[in-house]
Amino acid sequence: MNSAAPLHPILVHFSVALTAASVLFDFASLLLGGASLADAGWWTLALSAVMTVGTVATGVRSRLRLPMAEGPARSYLRTHMALGPIFLGFLLAATVWRATFWEQAIRVPATYLAAMGGLLLLMTVQGWLGGELVYRFGAEVRGRYRSLPVEYPEPEAERPPVNEVPGS
Amino acid sequence: MTGFLGLAGFQWLLLLAALQAVLLMADAFIGHYRSGFSLRAQYAPFVSGVLLLLSAVAVSIAPGRAALTTAAVATGALALLAGLVGAGYHHWYGITTKPGGYRWLLHHLLHHAPPLAPFALSVAGALVVLGARGGSGADQLLGAPIRLLVLGVVTVALLGLAGQSALLHYRGAFNQPAMYIPVIVLPLAAGSIVWHLAAPSATAARGIAAALLWATFLGGFVGAGMHLRGMDRQMGGLAMGVAAVIDAPPPGAPLLVAVLGASGLVALHLL
Repeated sequence: MNSAAPLHPILVHFSVALTAASVLFDFASLLLGGASLADAGWWTLALSAVMTVGTVATGVRSRLRLPMAEGPARSYLRTHMALGPIFLGFLLAATVWRATFWEQAIRVPATYLAAMGGLLLLMTVQGWLGGELVYRFGAEVRGRYRSLPVEYPEPEAERPPVNEVPGS
Repeated sequence: MTGFLGLAGFQWLLLLAALQAVLLMADAFIGHYRSGFSLRAQYAPFVSGVLLLLSAVAVSIAPGRAALTTAAVATGALALLAGLVGAGYHHWYGITTKPGGYRWLLHHLLHHAPPLAPFALSVAGALVVLGARGGSGADQLLGAPIRLLVLGVVTVALLGLAGQSALLHYRGAFNQPAMYIPVIVLPLAAGSIVWHLAAPSATAARGIAAALLWATFLGGFVGAGMHLRGMDRQMGGLAMGVAAVIDAPPPGAPLLVAVLGASGLVALHLL
C-alpha cells in the first residue's frame, strides 16, 4: 500500500475549492440575487462536507505511513492534525445551518457569511500548515524536486572554478 | 414531528445511534486489544454493536416496517443489556478483583477498565429502541412520551461522558486547557435539557439547551482533533500504528460526545 499515491493532497483541494466557492456563490447571490447562485452555494457546501470527511480520513492514513522525527516539521504536523477534525466539525455545523436556509428557500443572512469568513480563515491556516509540510518539509514527497535554474549575477569569467578552494 | 433534508427526526436519531455504535466499537476494540481479549465476554460489544448498527441503518431506511422495527427493538434491548453487563464486568475486573480493591478505588478507576464506558453501548441501544418505536408511529413507550425519553437518555449519557472524561482527563493531569471542555460543557448541556423538560414552553430554556448542545457537538470535534494530536505525541507518533494508539487518548470518545450532542439537537428540534 505504501507505493500508492497519497490521496490526502488530492482531496484537500476539493475541500478548499468547494468551501470557498460556496461562500463566493452565496456572497454573489446576496449582491446580485438569483436563486441559482444560492442553490450553487448550498450544493457546493454540502459536497464539501462530504469530501472533507474523506480528506480527514486520508490525512490520518497519510500520517500512519509517514515516519517523522521530532522537530519543527512534527510540530507543524501536530497542529495540522488537531485542526483537521476541528475544521470538519465547524464545516458540518455550517452545512446544517446552510441547509435550513436552503430548505426554506431563503437567502443567507449576513451573519452566516460572517461566520463563514471565520471558517475560511481557519481553512487558510490549515491549508498553510499543510503546504508547509509538503513544500517546506517534503512530507510524503517521493523523489526530489528538480532544482530551479539560478542566474549568477557575476559574469561567467569571474566565477570561481568548480572544486577550487577560494583563497588557496 | 418534522424532518430535515428529507429524513424524519427518528431516522436521523437511528443513523446517529448507528454512528455511535461504530465509534464505541472502535474504542472498545482498542481497550480490549490492550488487555489481550483475555475474556470471551470482551467480544460481546462487537457482536451486539454490529447487530445494532445493521438494524439501526435498516430501520432508518424503511421506518415502520414491522419486521425491521421488531429486529431493531430486539438488538437495541440486547445492546442495552450488554452495556449493563459490561459495566458489571468492568467493575468486577477493574476494581473488585484488583490488588487493594476498593481501598485503591481512585487508582483502579484511573488505570483499569473504564467504569462508565460500557454504558455507551446501553445508550446506543436505548436510542435505537426509541428511534425504531417512534419511527413506527408510537408516541409513547412505557407510558412516557418518546421525545421525553430520548432527551432523558441523552441527559444521562452526557453526565456519564462528563464523569468518564473527568476521570481520564484527571489522569492526564488536565495538561491542556481544552481538557476542561467536556467536564464543563457536558454537565451544563445536561442541566439545560432538564430545564427545558421542566419548562417546555420557556423559549429561553429551549434556546440555551440548543446552544449548549451545539457547543457539545463542536466540543466533540475539538476533542477529536486534540486526541489525534495526543496520539501523535506518543513516541514515534501515529506512524508507529497500533503502538501509538494503544496508550493514547481514545480516538472515538470525543466523537461520541459530538454524536450525542447531535442526538440531543435532533430530539430538541425534530421530535
